[in-house]
Amino acid sequence: MKSYTIKKDKVSDFISHLIKKNIVWGPVKQDDTIIYKQINTPQEITLDFLKVKIPPKTIVFPQTETLVRFHKEKDVTTETPSPEKKDAIIFGVRPCDAKSFLLFDAVFKGDCEDPFYCSKRATTILIGLTCINPPMNCFCSSVGGNPDDPSGLDILLTDMTDSYYMEIITERGEHLLKDFIGRTEATQQDTKKRDTICTQAKKSIKRQVSVERIDSILDAIFDSPYWETIAQRCIGCGICTFLCPTCHCFDIQDESSQNKGARVRIWDSCMFSEYSCHASGYNPRATQMNRVRNRIYHKFNYLLKNNQVLGCVGCGRCIDECPVHIDIVEIIKNARGVKQ
Amino acid sequence: MVEISQIQAEARKIFDTYDVQYILGYSNESFGIQPVPFFAKKKPDVNHLIFSPFCVNNLTMYLKNYEGNEKIGIVVKGCDSRSLIQLIIEKRIPRENLVIIGISCGGVIDQKKFQTKFPDVIGSVDVVEKDDLFIFTIAGKKHQVSKKEVLLEKCIHCEYPTPLLYDVLLGEKKQPFKSESYSDVKQIEAKSLQEKWNFWEKQFSRCIRCYACRNICPVCFCKECSAEQLNPQWLRRSVTISENTVWHLTRALHVAGRCTGCGECERVCPMSIPLMLLNKKMLKEVKDLFEYTPGISVDAKPLLAAYKPDDPEDCII
Repeated sequence: MKSYTIKKDKVSDFISHLIKKNIVWGPVKQDDTIIYKQINTPQEITLDFLKVKIPPKTIVFPQTETLVRFHKEKDVTTETPSPEKKDAIIFGVRPCDAKSFLLFDAVFKGDCEDPFYCSKRATTILIGLTCINPPMNCFCSSVGGNPDDPSGLDILLTDMTDSYYMEIITERGEHLLKDFIGRTEATQQDTKKRDTICTQAKKSIKRQVSVERIDSILDAIFDSPYWETIAQRCIGCGICTFLCPTCHCFDIQDESSQNKGARVRIWDSCMFSEYSCHASGYNPRATQMNRVRNRIYHKFNYLLKNNQVLGCVGCGRCIDECPVHIDIVEIIKNARGVKQ
Repeated sequence: MVEISQIQAEARKIFDTYDVQYILGYSNESFGIQPVPFFAKKKPDVNHLIFSPFCVNNLTMYLKNYEGNEKIGIVVKGCDSRSLIQLIIEKRIPRENLVIIGISCGGVIDQKKFQTKFPDVIGSVDVVEKDDLFIFTIAGKKHQVSKKEVLLEKCIHCEYPTPLLYDVLLGEKKQPFKSESYSDVKQIEAKSLQEKWNFWEKQFSRCIRCYACRNICPVCFCKECSAEQLNPQWLRRSVTISENTVWHLTRALHVAGRCTGCGECERVCPMSIPLMLLNKKMLKEVKDLFEYTPGISVDAKPLLAAYKPDDPEDCII
């Protein structure tokens, strides 16, 4: 596919061009927090960010999603929310977050297709932004990623100070550039500059961990007291799972009042004791140790076995935000030294 | 300032003198500068105990679900000691089951402020307190920073830097830094109803209902939280402005008269919701209406369980 460069002062035009025909989501600064929001003007977007607080999974897999509405007069009527007709573009996706969409695909488009996810995913286009300055807790290169990994993206932009290097990765990406004139074909020199920036970005990643044979290593230490030493300080909140770009568990509830209501699905977290609790009151994951261990095994063992993908893209959000500083990199690193 | 050797020596003494299940303190992780809560279970574990102005966590939250009858050792700063007092008067843990190492605290460092000032510091950071300054040694280079620039907001207004309850105190007793003026609360109080709602609507709409505010809170210890009850369901699982508002107001009211203002809820909130504004408003109300400050004395009764025959309100009797 082709590559272009786009001057920084033309980026607004490009976003305006996208807004004309599509719904555009982008990183927006709200107080001290950067989150993805649907935007109407290019000025709302900020591209000067390190990490967006809530990963873009929230756009194809919203925290709260209405599956069906019901209403009772004489008879019961139901109504399914109709899918959005326009394409949705997510602008400014980090390669780690884009990669998580592939894992979502494996889960939600796997044995059993999830229509709510699939309809949104089919119309979602991802415009990535190379992570030229990976923050402290990032470790994408240890889990098969890279600051400029194109996996899952349609276009990848790389900041080259006064312009962006624009790689077209898919036909859908190419299609977006139709009728947009504010770009020039990339020269060999541009490509060289881009490569230098990306190599430098990769070098500046501060954290490394080997995941070689991690599934079998974990198999051998399932019953080790190691998990208790990690979990004893866990407070059981949902930060690590809700902010994880690959965590995808949900709960379904009927919420109604008087004669109307809706069936909704809401993010759930395996860190909550309620998550695995049976109606009888029996909880197979009785303690926080069981839950913390499950989080690690789901990412580094079960998904590898079931879907042949690692369940972690190395974004580091769980480390950044943990109230008691539980560190997934250290957990995986130290797992190798645990006595079987 | 407290030396690491002092805290380790006291912890060893505790293991020698008492049969404690563990001592709750802080230790360093192999990566990063943020110390973590640490459970010293055997005497040799004491070698991992540290204390520095980076030790922000209020460790008393690990005692809120205390059961059994074993002794526990714990390291507390001034603010943490107030949570501990509250847990004792609410009968979560008997005083005699605690061995308390109090630390006279010069304020702890806000990670966010520190990282803004010194981005991407990953090695160890040595920090020395000197009057109103912190002197950081980062990669062999010394940096002098005014405390105010990096302290947690609660520390700037701290009225109780010296623990109010301890068996052994490390460091010299300190005077309050500044009395709490509630200026931030007063600012919100001065707004019109519509302005107040506009403010809170923006804040609460960000909430992702991870319940970190509840789980980190020392006094949020209900066995079954109203947020989890299904029959009746007080709070819908839908993450909407309506349910989020109910959640935060319920919690603020439920901890009113019990919250000691340790600020952990606000510190851990991943969405930066200014939860302490709510809690400080309740602290202020409780002080104005009942002349009561939670977590000051182990002999006090919990505010809402206390009764005075000479109560000025005639509706009480």
